[in-house]
Amino acid sequence: MSDNKFSVTVRVWRQAGPGGKGRMESYKVPDVSPDMSFLEMLDVLNEDLVRRDESPIAFDSDCREGICGCCGLVVNGDVHGPDEHSTVCQLHMRRFRDGDVITVEPWRVKSFPVLKDLVADRSSLDRIMAAGGYISVNTGAAPDANAIPVDKDDAEEAMDAAACIGCGACVAACPNGSAMLFTGAKISQLALLPQGKPEKARRALAMVEAMDAEGFGNCANEYECEAVCPKDVKVANIARMNREFLLGNFLSKR
Amino acid sequence: MKLDAKIPSGPIEKKWDKYRFDLKLVNPNNKRKFDIIVVGSGLAGASAAASLGELGYNVKVFTMHDSPRRAHSIAAQGGINAAKNYPNDGDSVWRLFHDTVKGGDYRAREANVYRLAQVANGIIDHCAALGVPFAREYGGLLANRSFGGAQLMRTFYARGQTGQQLLLGAYSAMMRQVAAGTVKLYPRREMTELVMKNGRARGIIARDLVTGKLETHAGHAVLLCTGGYANVFYLSTNAATCNVSAAWTAYKKGAGFANPCFTQIHPTCIPRSGDHQSKLTLMSESLRNDGRIWVPGKKGDKRAPGAIPEEERDYFLERRYPAFGNLVPRDIASRAAKTEVDAGRGVGPTGQSVYLDFRDSIARKGEDKIRGEYGNLFDMYYQITDENGYKAPMRIYPAPHYTMGGLWVDYDLMTNVPGLFAMGEANFSDHGANRLGASALMQGLADGFFIIPYTLGGYLAGNKLEDVADSDPEFRQAAGEAEQKFKLLLSARGRKTPSEFHRQLGGVMWSECGMARNEASLKRALVKIPGIREEFRENLVVGGGAEELNQTLERAGKVADFIDFAELLVRDALERRESCGGHFREESCTAEGEARRDDAGFSHAAVWEHAGEGKAPLLNKEALEFEHIKPSERSYK
Amino acid sequence: MDLGFVKRVIFTSIGRKFVMAVTGLALGAFIIVHLGANLLLMKGEESYNGYVALLLANPLILYAELGLAAIFLLHIATAVWVRWEDWRNAPSGYEERRWQGGRTLGSATMLYTAIAILAFLVYHIVDFRFGDHSVGFYQMVTAAFRDPVFVGIYVAGSLALALHLSHGMQSSFQTLGVNHPKYTPFIKFGGLLVALSMIGFALISVYFLLELDHRKAEHHYQVAATEAR
Repeated sequence: MSDNKFSVTVRVWRQAGPGGKGRMESYKVPDVSPDMSFLEMLDVLNEDLVRRDESPIAFDSDCREGICGCCGLVVNGDVHGPDEHSTVCQLHMRRFRDGDVITVEPWRVKSFPVLKDLVADRSSLDRIMAAGGYISVNTGAAPDANAIPVDKDDAEEAMDAAACIGCGACVAACPNGSAMLFTGAKISQLALLPQGKPEKARRALAMVEAMDAEGFGNCANEYECEAVCPKDVKVANIARMNREFLLGNFLSKR
Repeated sequence: MKLDAKIPSGPIEKKWDKYRFDLKLVNPNNKRKFDIIVVGSGLAGASAAASLGELGYNVKVFTMHDSPRRAHSIAAQGGINAAKNYPNDGDSVWRLFHDTVKGGDYRAREANVYRLAQVANGIIDHCAALGVPFAREYGGLLANRSFGGAQLMRTFYARGQTGQQLLLGAYSAMMRQVAAGTVKLYPRREMTELVMKNGRARGIIARDLVTGKLETHAGHAVLLCTGGYANVFYLSTNAATCNVSAAWTAYKKGAGFANPCFTQIHPTCIPRSGDHQSKLTLMSESLRNDGRIWVPGKKGDKRAPGAIPEEERDYFLERRYPAFGNLVPRDIASRAAKTEVDAGRGVGPTGQSVYLDFRDSIARKGEDKIRGEYGNLFDMYYQITDENGYKAPMRIYPAPHYTMGGLWVDYDLMTNVPGLFAMGEANFSDHGANRLGASALMQGLADGFFIIPYTLGGYLAGNKLEDVADSDPEFRQAAGEAEQKFKLLLSARGRKTPSEFHRQLGGVMWSECGMARNEASLKRALVKIPGIREEFRENLVVGGGAEELNQTLERAGKVADFIDFAELLVRDALERRESCGGHFREESCTAEGEARRDDAGFSHAAVWEHAGEGKAPLLNKEALEFEHIKPSERSYK
Repeated sequence: MDLGFVKRVIFTSIGRKFVMAVTGLALGAFIIVHLGANLLLMKGEESYNGYVALLLANPLILYAELGLAAIFLLHIATAVWVRWEDWRNAPSGYEERRWQGGRTLGSATMLYTAIAILAFLVYHIVDFRFGDHSVGFYQMVTAAFRDPVFVGIYVAGSLALALHLSHGMQSSFQTLGVNHPKYTPFIKFGGLLVALSMIGFALISVYFLLELDHRKAEHHYQVAATEAR
């Protein structure tokens, strides 16, 4: 906690609407407190812009504690900012110094078209989920929760994969714009659990096909995704997806 | 306003069975002919959409987020209760029912709470089947923990992310129905109006947040699953966009709003650091198992915590509540902290916090053990405050967290407006005046998975609903009203942003109607709030247009509704001259300063009715009867 | 006959990566055998030419050669397709971009090392496969190895190959779904060893360039030391 206010300049991507052309614009933000979060700094700037009758910078955010997956910015070339394994809403201004020029950009991925300024449309991830990111069980049909024991290690590994918040950072960071960490995490989670096994081949084939249809790039195993993932989801999940897909393709009846 | 709770007759254990049997059924082939509008995609909304889709209804789901998976249910940390009695420690449906009624300070409807306890076990079964990675024992069976002061281990959890995992489970079930074609998603939409026809809720007007276009959607029933209103305090642990607008729109169209003054404050939040603060972050209250809460005994003591000797520290919870100590329930711990801060003994730069000290437990158990149990919370604290909780005590302060009040609903979860249902935190719920830890997730999923699929069918089969089209005059009129609302907001050419008004409102609400309330403070609030509304009309600045992505306009709409709603909340708090659960009236307490309930005067749900713009709302009462759990005093001494 | 599963191999992202991985591993296996053969050069003319004669005597050698060529072409064609897709879908337009630590020199340069290897390969095949075999294989190879320009190209080629394999080997296993907390560290280490061993090609050519083989006859002792290096 401190009263050392300082000022920074943010260079932000401004784009009026979907499909439009954009440009970088600079704004000076005086009176930045080191205790502010990065997004609060943008809030302060936005309020100032509104008062000056200028258009505020649109960006997505909601929970501001790193779990909803709404926020997602590239700060000075770092996906979700310079802190490791955290979302940009968890970044604080004490990471910056007086006079810093901070570049702020949206996810620049073909499958996440920019809607305005820093707001990107990530509905392609929902469509991947609709293709098979579930276990087909109707409400009311489940057996007692303890009827099917689950290996504790498998349950833990499934939880590691399930921690994904769907922010899309993996895609934004991937040199090829691939969504395989996102897709792999869900396929892994459900393949690891006995409840998900009956339809694992169908799921892997369908989700990978949906992912391809959305125009995501290919995985080149460079693991930039793992390096930026705010929830530290591991690329072992991509391997498991590959395995599930290949076994599904060659060994299942599909 | 006619309030018929429709509580079925018969013994409480049989009520729900009997009621379900008596409900009329919709023929399987006819279900697809019914359009169901679900607003909100949190636990209640997603689970309702999934279950209704599975049954074959034609469901439309609206969410203000870019994806339904962002709903704020995702942030719940602790767990979900159910009376499975897996740990063999004596749990039962009856005990969960008992604890929930008692924990709610006897202000909930017994029949609803019993049903909640009954269906809770099914939630765990279903979520496990959906692939929710619950914590497990080495034998492969589910693990349980004790949570929020419960004396039983009935809480199921998935690390510290139970809400996330349950929401993703419900979301996945819903996405399966999206693929099946029974559910259609409308993301980045905000409900702006409820459309009524012939006295029934028949549709909504939604604003496409990307294009700003207003859309009309007609249906046979509208389900509001729009969460709580803790953001009326501006700073709360709720997500930045959580709001009361959908419920408020329904209220203005005739739905009763029940017990708005029942708000819950969570004791272990990270204190605010300055005016820029946009929200507060909650840390799991499990920290109180090992942390000791204290303040300096002397007023205005500015020494560093380490420099304050043991005898000059006041461990006020341990002093006041020797039996429960630091583990007293949320409301009591929160108020005690406020008492200390108000007396000038608060710590930190703002003086608005108290210490949560791990020194003794680190000495006793070792830092590694503490790190193993709470490492992620210490990290979170460090990330936000830049302070190391292992070396110096953490600073905490209570923050608004959950709201028990909401739209009044009957046993069907239907508001007094036919065809309008409210579920999850949006309804006035089964938690009475105070919600127990790990019960919010239980209620949201109970409503969506196991109650609405039956009761909605009963409504649809039991009523003759004429055809409506979104070209009907009622829709055109509602769309016109919505358009007018946005025009009005945009036409203001003042100097204050919506957020400034929100902060101002929150300040009033927190100081006059926060953790402790009294007649004088509430009356002050009733003067200040209309003043804020007045200034809002004249001095607001929004900018931009209606037909574009305009986040300032979205915020302005939410703040406008919060201002109006805040007045109702204060009015309700003023009317309820008793202390119960999260509602603490300073006039109503024992000689030792503890809350005192007034069962003779206030054993009812206060249901507020909109009487028209500019008119005082009308108070209706639903009397609460306790046949099974006899009201007693909550004592934690 | 449902060819859906074949179509999936060709037309899905993971299918194509599967082709890359399988052909890559096959080529890796080939190159290790190739390295073994080159080591025979150091044993002397008799050993090397004997090995070549043995190969040529095998009636299946032509089919093996064609098969190898086919694997090569499949690897290249798939790579072109995958790269073209990546190029279309990759994030673009970042004003600033910092790699976060996942990328390695090997992984970031796959395309460039691939082009270098391909160029080298064309040169290599023209020079040796279709070169003048009349002098005898040992003579042909060692003569080339005494040409500094040729050795320069050869060293560059093997270094490119080493860099390519430093990512390619472990990446193939990941693509095939072989990732296990216990075994993956060994796979990564093994992949790196294979990649490093490609430097062996360079060392062998330099060995002849420096005419260390001539001294070998005189100083057995020294040769052993050189090899160890």
